[in-house]
Amino acid sequence: MKAIVHSTIRAAWGVCVLTAAILTPALVQAQSANDAQPVKALTISSSGALLMLQGSDLFAMEGGTSTKIALPATDQSAQPTTLARGADGSVYLAGPGLGVWRYDGAGESWQSLNNTLPDLGVTAMAAHATQPGTLYAYLGKDGMFRSRNGGAEWVKVDSGPQEPVQTFLHSDMPGSMESGWLFAGTTRGVARSMDCFCFWGDAGDLRGMVSAIDYDPAAPENVYAVIEGQLHHSADGGEVWTGLKVPQPVTALAFSPSQGLVVGTANGNLLARGAADEWAPVHE
Amino acid sequence: MALLTSGRLSMNNWIYSFILLAAPVIAGASGGPESADSTSTEVSQGRQIYEQYCAACHGWQGEGAANWKNPDEKGEMPPPPHDESGHTWRHSDAMLFKMITKGWRHPFNKTEQLTMPAFEESLTDQEIGAVIEYLKTLWTDEQREYQATESQ
Repeated sequence: MKAIVHSTIRAAWGVCVLTAAILTPALVQAQSANDAQPVKALTISSSGALLMLQGSDLFAMEGGTSTKIALPATDQSAQPTTLARGADGSVYLAGPGLGVWRYDGAGESWQSLNNTLPDLGVTAMAAHATQPGTLYAYLGKDGMFRSRNGGAEWVKVDSGPQEPVQTFLHSDMPGSMESGWLFAGTTRGVARSMDCFCFWGDAGDLRGMVSAIDYDPAAPENVYAVIEGQLHHSADGGEVWTGLKVPQPVTALAFSPSQGLVVGTANGNLLARGAADEWAPVHE
Repeated sequence: MALLTSGRLSMNNWIYSFILLAAPVIAGASGGPESADSTSTEVSQGRQIYEQYCAACHGWQGEGAANWKNPDEKGEMPPPPHDESGHTWRHSDAMLFKMITKGWRHPFNKTEQLTMPAFEESLTDQEIGAVIEYLKTLWTDEQREYQATESQ
């Protein structure tokens, strides 16, 4: 009798394991299938995977599968809004109420970089294109802060452009007096400064609230900005801008080593631009 | 003397200038006059060189060109101030030395001219160093502190 019960339990357990094994990939895949939500931010991991922030969820998309990454445990009012990739491939997450965090892919954990920030009201952040330890954070009225040691110590360096910064980018475009350029998407357009924070000036005459900005690391004069879902491109470091047609309103930008410019859309899709300038779904 | 009679100098600059002038006396009392003397001499030399080579573009008091943040009619960036209203204090000694020595072209200039001419043929390394020390007298204490950190 005991043996019969035992073998029945084993059989039932086997069915459970088998069912779980069949369903798990579908569940993982389903975690990224929330197409209704706009893509808030994109970046690329050190392994080349696309990281997508959608709603309050973060997904890593690689090899045709999508894996949900747990966000740091923070106050419920925290709003993750920004992803950035450091020069060493480190991934950073930031947002109002959240401050700045770095993801440890090996340990699958987050490290807070907020010890010396005045508060957690980070509305935009960027990582230096070539210096792994250099990070920038914008805290609204508190101004712009820079860390040169990976977030261990933040120092206020500037007040930032006249208008509030919505999105932020460091670029290694040549021609700077120092080590690169900062592009800030503001409520008025794109502002640009050398990374000495010498002064902020208009990058061309693109006007409107900028919600995303990125550049092509392989051709740094090429800068992309999104205003009200419309994608704009500058081939001369932000002097002259032209509109690019995308089938859906654009909400996020990233440059993938394998696919080039990738856009996240208001419909929750990821699109990459092909050789003939056509847009096709990304299948990482 | 022109440094002390300038109406554009801030209180910080006045204090800094006072310190520079008073330093030999103070240093003499503490037994270390040579360093203070040499600093004062270097600043004085730097000011003379600045007035000879730099002031025509950057202003006699380092005030820079009017409207220096916007390109002029030729599409070139005007000379910026070197005083506390500019951004010179944001650069390290090494970067300032390089800028003065080699010159620099703003990438968004509409001409191919150097925005800042090179002075390596006109000035010695020591003279360029003296100009940089003089420029530091035009900044606030906080700016000098920031620049010293940048120079480390």
